[in-house]
Parts: sequence; structure tokens; C-alpha cells
Amino acid sequence: MLKYQFDWSVVTSGKYFYWLVSGVKVTLQLSFISIILSFLLGLLIAIMRMSNFKPIRWFSIGYLEFFRNTPLLVQIFFWYFGSYKILPEGINSWLNEHNFEFASAVIALTIYTSAFIAEDIRSGILSIPKEQMEAARSSGFSYLGSMRYIILPQAIRLTVPPLIGQFLNLAKNSSLAMTIGVAELTYQARQVESYTFKGFEAFTAATIVYLFLSLLITWLVSEYDKRFLKIIKG
Amino acid sequence: MKRLFLVLLVLLIVALSVGKSVAADTLEEVKKKGVLVAGVKDSSPPFGFIDEKTREIVGYDIDFVKAIAKKLGVKLELKPVTSASRMPQLIEGNIDIIAATMTKTPERAKQIDFSYTYFLTGQKFITKKGTIKTLKDLDGKKIGTAKGSTSEQNAKKVLPNATILSFDDYPQAFLALQQGKVQAVTTDESILAGILAKAPNKSKFEIPNIQISDEPYGLGMRKGDTNFVNFVNKTLLGMEKSGEAKKIFDKWFGPNSQTPLKRNFKIKAE
Repeated sequence: MLKYQFDWSVVTSGKYFYWLVSGVKVTLQLSFISIILSFLLGLLIAIMRMSNFKPIRWFSIGYLEFFRNTPLLVQIFFWYFGSYKILPEGINSWLNEHNFEFASAVIALTIYTSAFIAEDIRSGILSIPKEQMEAARSSGFSYLGSMRYIILPQAIRLTVPPLIGQFLNLAKNSSLAMTIGVAELTYQARQVESYTFKGFEAFTAATIVYLFLSLLITWLVSEYDKRFLKIIKG
Repeated sequence: MKRLFLVLLVLLIVALSVGKSVAADTLEEVKKKGVLVAGVKDSSPPFGFIDEKTREIVGYDIDFVKAIAKKLGVKLELKPVTSASRMPQLIEGNIDIIAATMTKTPERAKQIDFSYTYFLTGQKFITKKGTIKTLKDLDGKKIGTAKGSTSEQNAKKVLPNATILSFDDYPQAFLALQQGKVQAVTTDESILAGILAKAPNKSKFEIPNIQISDEPYGLGMRKGDTNFVNFVNKTLLGMEKSGEAKKIFDKWFGPNSQTPLKRNFKIKAE
């Protein structure tokens, strides 16, 4: 029987603690930037998906099916390594001098999640009786105006529970960014493990942080829901 | 709040139920099972890589565990591991021995036992031709390597201002070098030579003569597994004496191989 000696000091103080903290910071940045961007992009795609203009609708269907049905890891590699083949040399070297690892991770997470969010928002929009749209249009609202003032406020509210799910997935999926060297939380936990061999402690700490991050996101979204969206419903 | 409480409760239950015992005498265990499970690399030519024709894992490391399995009279099962996963896999009992380009370090020796050195190399860099002359040229640059390796730690020590980007394995790190995302990839010279040999446009890259550390490789076994460690060491010494160890070296690193290196070491009792 091998005995495992727990040593929590490696993750609660000193240099390794700061590594983990810097990882938490990167994970937070990655998650919140991608959450906001993927929500906006998802909203746009959902509206495009319901457009009466066929090319726009077809484009958005293609977008949805492509990005929902390919693995996120492959998409991350695509943006990081694959974009090299498409972009001109000058842009490549500019990107490489800047934090292209972080940017590719944000792009991949945003696009991947936006496809799921778009479908959730669309189902929310579809659940609003179409007579409301007709009534709005006949009262003089434009198509976008009726969306903006009549349909979306109700639809978004209905979409809140599935949206929370997508945001949580995004926050946890952000750990895949470590495969291209983004020093987020899981990356740092692994780093601590390879320096100290205290993997159990490092990953327990990381797990707890992810847990609290998820609970925080759930709380933030439901607070927003309570404060701002309830009024509309009444 | 209720949700948080429930989550913590589940965590507690999981934490209490973790803990698995691993047999202390691997030698007996392996003989009883009739199979030796070795953790090896599958993308680090010429130590462990997939042969294009046979689709099997072959290499310098594999030949050594093959010889040990033969001496034991058991079958050999190869399990691909990465630099980061190999020690946990061993400690948890998923593999019996590590033969995966692993450098012997004092920190690692606290967790596992090592065999005598069966390969000796040093850490160097691979770069685009003509870009790097001295170590100074690399400070402040981006340098790629693989996660959980000693290479990463050595590079951080000698190049404190460089950004070290750790990838999952060396082929990705090398791809990043080809695309100019990093200015160098650093690891043991023997692995770099293997990468260079397989590179599509070899002539564009070079390994400048900048060595930042000695890297003695050992086979890894569970801590306190004395019988097994002794058996492996005896086998290694026997292989050196019979010339088999040199034969394996020449097969992968001899003058006619793709990665010619000098054999500047002998397997000896330490």
C-alpha cells in the first residue's frame, strides 16, 4: 500500500499559489470575454436564422451545423495553427508577436458557443406566438423594431435557463485553451503538478475554483433575470 | 446556498471514497499476470513512435522494455503516456514501468524509483537556421516545449525573461516553430534530432550547439518496489555486458540511422 502524503501548503501559499491565482485570472478573462461575445454573436445568428432572405438564412444554417458538430479542440487548433495557411505573412507575424494564443482561444470559444446559444435563442423566439409579431408589424414597427421591442425581451427571458447552461459549458471548456499554451487555470494546475508532484492538491484547488466560477455565473445570470427581465414579463 | 451545500456534500463523499491500494511487489505481480505493462511515448522518435508500416509503437525505449519482458518471460503491453501523465499513471498502478524519455531528477526520485541510466543526452534548442547563435539570443523570446517535462523547468531557469509555451507534445511545439509562433523548441538533443529527421523541410532548421543541462534517462518504477528495481537494474547491466544495449543504441542512433549520435555513456551501477 502506497501512502499519499497530503500537503496543502503548496496550493495555499508561496510561488505555486501565485501560479494558480494567475491561472484563475486568465480563466476569468477568457470566460467573461467569450461569454459576452458569444451571446452577442449568438443573438445575431439567431436573428439571421429567422430571416426571410434566403442567402442569409442558408449561411446561418451552415454556420450552426458546422460549428455545433465539430469538436471544440479541433476548432481551437484550427484557429491557432490553421489560420496560418490562410492569412498573409505580414498579419501572421504581427499576430505571433502579440498574444495570439489567447485570441485564438477566445475566437474558438466564442464561435463554438455562439452556435449553441443561437439555437437556444431561436427556440425562445419561436415560443412567442407569431400573432405578436403580426400585431407589432401592423402597429407600424419595422421587422427589427418588433424584434427589439416586442419579441426579444420575452424570448431572452425564456432562454435564460438554457443560456446559463451554455455559459457554464463555456467556462469549463475554456480549460481546452491550455492545449495551445494559454496559461489558464488547468494549465497552471498541471504546471504545479509537474513541479511539485502534488497533483491531487493542485487539481482539487482548480476543481473548487471551477465550481465557484460556475456558481458565480449561475448567480449573476439569475440575478440579472430577476432584476431586469421580470419587469418586462409583468 | 442550499445548492452550494449539496455540492460540498457530494465532494466530501467522493474525497472519502478515494484511495486505492497498489501491490508493492510488481515483480511477483507481473509474473502472476503474465504481462508487463509499460508506459511509453508514441510521438517521440526514435525513442517511442508509431512505425508507419506496421502501425506499432517502436523505438529505443521500447527495445529496452522488450528485453526486460523477455527476461521475465512475460508478454509486453505498451501503453502510450505523455510527459505529464506518466508518473500519475505509474503511481496509480495503471502501468508497471515507465520507459518514456524520462530524465532522472532528485524531485522525481522522491516520488518514484529510477533504474540505472540507460541513455544520456543534454538539453538543446531547435531553431530556424541562422536565427540563434548564443543563449542570449533567446532571452525574451517565445520558446515551445512539452508540458510536464524537465525541459520546461530548465528553460525557465536559464532564460528567466523568455515566455515558455508548453504544448501537449513535441510535434505541436515544432509546428508552432514552423509557423513562427515560437522562436525555438527546447528539449533533449536526442528528441530534437528525431524531430529534425522527420521534419518535411529539414534544411530550414538547425540545432545550435547550446547545451543547458545533462539529461540522464532512467526507467521509472514505483517507490519502494525494491525487488523489481533490482531485477531491472540487473537486466540493464546484463544487456550492457552482452553488447545488446549497444546494439539497440546503434539501431536507433548509429551512423546509418536517421538520428546519428555518439554513445558517450555506458550503463553502469550507480
